[in-house]
Amino acid sequence: MTERMLLCRLADIRDGHSKGVAPDRCGRDRILLIRQGTRLYGYVNNCPHYDRAPMAWKKDEFLNGDRSRIVCAGHGALFRIEDGVCELGPCLGQALTPVNLVVEAGAVYGHDVPSERCVHGASGSGRKTGR
Amino acid sequence: MRIIGPDELVFGVDNVEASEAFLTDYGLTPAGNGRFNALDKTAISVRPKDDPSLPAPMRTATMLRQTIWGVENQPSLDEIEAELSKDRKVAKADDGTISCQDDAGFEIAFRVSQRIKLNLPGEKINSPGAVPGRAANEIGANEDAEAKPRTLSHIVYFIPDMDKMANFYIDRLGFVVTDKFTNTGPFLRPQANDDHHVLFMIQTPEYMQGLEHLAFHMQGPTELMLAGSRMVRKGYESFWGPGRHKFGSNWFWYFNSPLGTHIEYDADMDKHDGDWVEREKPMNKENSQMFLFENVEKWAPGGPPPGKG
Repeated sequence: MTERMLLCRLADIRDGHSKGVAPDRCGRDRILLIRQGTRLYGYVNNCPHYDRAPMAWKKDEFLNGDRSRIVCAGHGALFRIEDGVCELGPCLGQALTPVNLVVEAGAVYGHDVPSERCVHGASGSGRKTGR
Repeated sequence: MRIIGPDELVFGVDNVEASEAFLTDYGLTPAGNGRFNALDKTAISVRPKDDPSLPAPMRTATMLRQTIWGVENQPSLDEIEAELSKDRKVAKADDGTISCQDDAGFEIAFRVSQRIKLNLPGEKINSPGAVPGRAANEIGANEDAEAKPRTLSHIVYFIPDMDKMANFYIDRLGFVVTDKFTNTGPFLRPQANDDHHVLFMIQTPEYMQGLEHLAFHMQGPTELMLAGSRMVRKGYESFWGPGRHKFGSNWFWYFNSPLGTHIEYDADMDKHDGDWVEREKPMNKENSQMFLFENVEKWAPGGPPPGKG
């Protein structure tokens, strides 16, 4: 368990929506968060399809049309929000890497946030590739 | 088989509003009924995924529902209809468009191309030793340039059987192989187009079948970078680029999209004729691109160190 990192305030995430946080030095969000009422889910912002595949189609937009799944806007892969498992798409059966979250006094903290080095050069990402 | 290239790609999407906003910001012009035109009126069309007018979806994640190929004239269309009718059902719409499935199960259609002939200047550059591209006092850096996609350039499919798929387009529709990535797929151009490729394919497991990316041609590398950097500023997600490919020589910049496919700007692609001999290389990062850059925030050097001026 690494040192925890302040990601955002809980109130910054609209209920039922997603938000990208913890930008790396190139400005890419390393973590995506989804809030559903009092529940909060966090994953590393990388589709298991490739070793460097940011998933949003626009800043903070990580969900499909009815906001029932996480979507990778690379090839439309769909992931369950609750466990990050891919149900359809190039990474079928694989899963997003979860991030341990702690909410304290309205602030959201993450553990094991990937390094802030740019995603180029996957070896420097600090990310588990699962391969 | 005088096929020119992709005329229109039809999508069934789960977020119409986002798709329409994306395509508009990308630089296409809304033309009504979910259609978004490039300057030559080649197009992307987006409809709700449950729209009954759409061909049935694939069972994969792809949102592409139909690839409509533009052909030169009615005799070309009749020739394709006769050829494909030999072994499959070919439907004919009231407007003359014919449709069927290819050998991989993609929905395809053919029609006399709706594209208009463009008469526009290319990117003009000054190069020592060469005749200047721009006259004296003609400025090259125009931040207000429209930078609109000119024409639908090419599509790339994920396909489970690359040989079967390539042979259909080569043997039945007269496409020509320009180059090939070993065990990945060939770059193909049709007979009425001299672009290096309008179709490429990547061999994948069956559950991945779909559209990998689509691309539109821009005026040149400067317009490509201008358009791409505008997309980044609007918050869109750059996936790969800018850079320059080796096969095809085209500059590239790929973005994620709410259409479930990467959407590319490309510029300055090679042209070929029947004298060209195809090359073959293994698919890897060295062979894929000559160089690769990434957009960063604007910055400028000043005089003294910060705060010491």
